[in-house]
Amino acid sequence: MRDFALAPEFVELQAAAERLGRVELAPHVRDAERAGRWSDAVLAVLDGLPLGDLDLPERLGGVEAGSLAKVVTLETLAMADAGGLLGADRLGLSVGALLACPGASLVGEVLASVRDGSAQSSLTVVDIEQEASGIEWAPGWPALRWIWVSKGDELRLHEVTGATRPTDALAFHASGGVSVSFAQTRRRGTWTLSPHESLGVRGRARLWAAAVAVGIAQAALTDTIAYTTDRIVFGKPVAHHQGNAFDLAAAAARLHGARLVVRDAAAGFDRDEPNAGFWATQAWLETMEAAFTLTNLGIQLLGGHGFIVDHLAEKRFREARMLAMLAGGRDAAELDVAAYVLDVPDPFVDSARGR
Amino acid sequence: MIELDAGTHEMLEEVRALGREHIRPMGLEADRTALPPPVDHPFYLLCTRQRGLISKMIGADEGPSALDWKPMRNFVLGEETAYWDRGVALSLPGPGLGGAALRSTATAEQRQHFLAIFNDRSTARWGAMAMTEPGAGSDVARIQTRARKDGDGWLLNGQKMFCSNSARADWVVVWATVDPALGRAGHRAFVVERGTPGFEILKIEHKMGSRGYETASFALDDVRLPAENLLGGEAFYESRRGFKASMATFNMTRPLHTAHGVGMGRAAHDFALDFVRSDYPAQGQRRQRALERLARIRRGLHTARLMYLHAVWLAKNDHPNALEASYAKLYSPPIVLDAVVAALDILGEAGVRNDKMLEKLYRDVKILDIGEGTQQVQRVVVARQLFDFPRDA
Repeated sequence: MRDFALAPEFVELQAAAERLGRVELAPHVRDAERAGRWSDAVLAVLDGLPLGDLDLPERLGGVEAGSLAKVVTLETLAMADAGGLLGADRLGLSVGALLACPGASLVGEVLASVRDGSAQSSLTVVDIEQEASGIEWAPGWPALRWIWVSKGDELRLHEVTGATRPTDALAFHASGGVSVSFAQTRRRGTWTLSPHESLGVRGRARLWAAAVAVGIAQAALTDTIAYTTDRIVFGKPVAHHQGNAFDLAAAAARLHGARLVVRDAAAGFDRDEPNAGFWATQAWLETMEAAFTLTNLGIQLLGGHGFIVDHLAEKRFREARMLAMLAGGRDAAELDVAAYVLDVPDPFVDSARGR
Repeated sequence: MIELDAGTHEMLEEVRALGREHIRPMGLEADRTALPPPVDHPFYLLCTRQRGLISKMIGADEGPSALDWKPMRNFVLGEETAYWDRGVALSLPGPGLGGAALRSTATAEQRQHFLAIFNDRSTARWGAMAMTEPGAGSDVARIQTRARKDGDGWLLNGQKMFCSNSARADWVVVWATVDPALGRAGHRAFVVERGTPGFEILKIEHKMGSRGYETASFALDDVRLPAENLLGGEAFYESRRGFKASMATFNMTRPLHTAHGVGMGRAAHDFALDFVRSDYPAQGQRRQRALERLARIRRGLHTARLMYLHAVWLAKNDHPNALEASYAKLYSPPIVLDAVVAALDILGEAGVRNDKMLEKLYRDVKILDIGEGTQQVQRVVVARQLFDFPRDA
């Protein structure tokens, strides 16, 4: 039976991400928001990890550390600051599309431009019954060049050829932000994937967001505990009032569960499990609920302090919600798991055989 | 991160066959009659006599060596037995929770002595453990059953309740206190054997659900015990080792509760899934709604399963797991109840009929949020660990 232990190299990666977060990210969170990007020094360290290549296979020039290595790194970085991650990890949400795309030369072209730091690659999920006119928000730096579109079993790649519009958004200001109409793009390819491949494309995007949400929620829990055990109301610390203590305990349990399912889903991708996209989508749904609960509680228990920008509670509240709206949002995720739920066996016990 | 080896899959198949043929029918019968299966039920004898899987799971096979600890596999198998009927799973012969107490507390000689009865394969035998009292449930520090030195031995007085299988057990591990003012430091574990003068079963409870196992109350009226029946011996209880032993037991029973809940939730899921396949229209809004509900059930149960496995994995590797055990116990009962409720919603009016089993599960699962520390207790435990939530808050 496999276990829950992280391999030593993952622990090292985690330690490196923690150091970077503590020294370079956490002290400059609001500066990065105002600047609309992370510093070049941070980006140089992330490229050295290398963050974008962690979960790419060697055949694509990656380091093949796997999805689990990636989510552990993302979790840790997001604990310090998630704001610039969407910009910094230039493949980010689109890594699943890249892995599933049958067009090898196009994949090479995308990777080359992303690796030299000149291009951003993003992904949008489009409702199967409706055509989208463009992408509503994507990271703004480096310049958005590649847009992957996942629509049912169809995968498309658009190259931005016209102008993008700077677009302020709910959160992730340190990642910049643009929107673009598909009229300003050239379609470079369209492919039909298998249902499992398609769900894998969306599942990897959701797993990326879920890992970041775990980090955000962990930071919210840590800071909320620090504040509420220090501040006295009605004669005792805020956290020592039973109503507050119970809410915090329940939210912490949810976060623990979310972290486990995210890592489990990542391990599923690393084992090439056919239903990894299903479990990654389930992990995303679980994590989005946990992160919203914790970041909402993070504001609530800080009271008025939670609502002002002197604390990071309001930023995490915005970030958690925004992660739940990318890559098609909640409806697309729930439709996906509902579409597959009759066919995906229990990973331990194939219930269909057992009854 | 967790996947099962081939051996565990084979064992799961074996449990599944036993579950289909014996465990679920016994559970349905116990529910109908409101009586647990009798002690001479043929399945109990089968479990005792065969040197098979169930015997190993319940510790009835190979005597003391059955204590060889393969907890993750055992918990997965525990999930599967609860899938078929948790009540009957808890009623299976063997040392039960008393075995867990022996493992964490007893000397090698005591384990050898008290487990030896399970080598007798002519009849089914049970062990049990008693902590809860009329005035002390979740807050075990408040137990009042007194243990006083009596010459070389001990004298026990008090009352215990909600004790599984104690009316049919050959012995019960009884937790008592040498001085209630000492709180947990005063706790001692004794083995009280059936037939000991002063040990009297008072009542077998009638329950809303989970009727496959008996839940009994008993009195201890000047029960005299030899020194050898104090588990671990007196030296064991110096420096709080006794309390730590009882807590170590709970740190494993809370994840086991979660494993059982996942099994019961899966049973509800599968029942509803069958119904969707057989009775729902092939497409349309109603079907879509049911599929979304099924997916949500799957998500919660998957998360709960990873939580219990993680807590057990920590214990297996000698890491502290009190927080993670409470996380699992806090998270899972509402998820399991939600699973059953959602399954009932999928069946609609058909769900209320007691020949559909779901209404039984609805009654059965509620105990998961009570036994081994309610959800409220788990929140207290978590809050203490995370931010020193005070004991007098």
